[in-house]
Amino acid sequence: MVLRAIDNLGRRLINNVEYTIRVLMMVYYSLRATMSDQAQGLRTIFSVVSAQIYFTGWQAMPLISVLAIATGSIVILQSSAQLSLLGGSQMIGNLLVVIIVREVGPLLTSLVVIARSGTAVASEVGNMRANREIDALESMGINPLSYIVFPRIVGGVVSVVSLAYYFTMIALFGGYLCTRLIQDIPVAFYIESLVRALAAEDIFLFLVKTSFSGMIIFVVSCYQGLLVKRSSHEVPQVTTKAVVDSIIYVTVFNMTVTTLFYLNQLIELGVI
Amino acid sequence: MSFLINSIEFKDVSFAFEGEESVLQNANCSFPMGEIISLRGERGAGRSTLLQLLAGLQVPNQGRIEIDGLNVSEMSFDEFLPYRLKIGYAFDLGGLLSNRTISENLLLPLNYHKLCSPQEAAERVNYYINRFSLQKAADVRPANVSGGVRKLACLVRALLIEPELILLDDMTVGLSKGVIETYCQSIDDLRKAGKTHTVIFSSYDELFSSQFETVSLFLEGGQIYQHTIEKRAVSL
Repeated sequence: MVLRAIDNLGRRLINNVEYTIRVLMMVYYSLRATMSDQAQGLRTIFSVVSAQIYFTGWQAMPLISVLAIATGSIVILQSSAQLSLLGGSQMIGNLLVVIIVREVGPLLTSLVVIARSGTAVASEVGNMRANREIDALESMGINPLSYIVFPRIVGGVVSVVSLAYYFTMIALFGGYLCTRLIQDIPVAFYIESLVRALAAEDIFLFLVKTSFSGMIIFVVSCYQGLLVKRSSHEVPQVTTKAVVDSIIYVTVFNMTVTTLFYLNQLIELGVI
Repeated sequence: MSFLINSIEFKDVSFAFEGEESVLQNANCSFPMGEIISLRGERGAGRSTLLQLLAGLQVPNQGRIEIDGLNVSEMSFDEFLPYRLKIGYAFDLGGLLSNRTISENLLLPLNYHKLCSPQEAAERVNYYINRFSLQKAADVRPANVSGGVRKLACLVRALLIEPELILLDDMTVGLSKGVIETYCQSIDDLRKAGKTHTVIFSSYDELFSSQFETVSLFLEGGQIYQHTIEKRAVSL
């Protein structure tokens, strides 16, 4: 009984590792296909990338704005109130950088992109598969990896990085303006506190999290879409799987990066 | 006249879709090149699958598909590309990119591979659009035209690259007699111009078959039989 449970667990683990490797290999294959594709010009790639940025980035801005203002207001209001009680008001910048720039900005933006664009890409590619558009591309000598997958990954990465940057700015400054309606925090004090707290490593962490999250979302979505075989009834199934897998991968990735970052800091400080 | 594709052979080819029964089982066949080849057999005998294997859209589970002695079933996408550009494939269903108009769909293979200048590509597409009276559908996306027009656009796209080998998968169903005759005439024109040498089609439509002298290949029990060498030309 116990052995069977361990056996099942091991098998499931191996399956997940294999799946992760296959998904990651698609990034490599799509890059290789794009490099070796003599016919596909930059113009073709750019047109698909720009369309992807428009749908994923530009069209998501209203939703991101609302979420960012709400998140920024809540975090600023709660933290400034608690810090005032503790007598550490000058630490508000540090707290905001840690929460908004390092953690919430990249993660929440990624989740919004998964909900809006991950689903869209998985169902689009899945429907293309079911409608034999992928077969048509192949029969015309157009590699779907370079024509469909690679531009979507690039567009996705650019969109997630840009949207997360937009989210962060709106959360920090929009949230501040909303907070001012309730609580008076001097603007000079607020900006100075933020500038003092922001370090190069925060920007590095932000870029690593957003760019890799963008890549994960779109490669998983494309991979799942391409798994559709011949019938359109498979499309909702792969779309759901794309969303679930993207959420798991992105959250685990964000958590891992944060953990490694803090472990590194602890090592540098000589704590461990 | 020199061609890239001079011979096609199936050697012990087996194929089955995942979790399904075998469509082909150790099938051997030397395709008679330079002919109009009619694939015959019951529904589900594997005619569409055979065309997909020839077009490189499926890879055999076992055996070799040889073009001029080279095993193309083991070739990478890039290695097989020169052959793909000499094969025009028309689908039985779907196959048009839904986010492009009919004329953009037709232009895509020509412009993507720069098979001719953009101006020449536009002229070639316009020629076929006029020939098949597709003017009204040209600037419309596939979802907004009838199934017949979509099918016709697929057929026209297969001709546009002026291929050596044309593969037509059950494509004349739902098309009018006039359109089928025009299409057959277009194939004939390409053959006379020395651009196309072989056409392989699967169709239950006797009208299409009767337009040409055909050689029949019969699919049964996972095997391919050269059913009849006898050529026939049935007048309409």
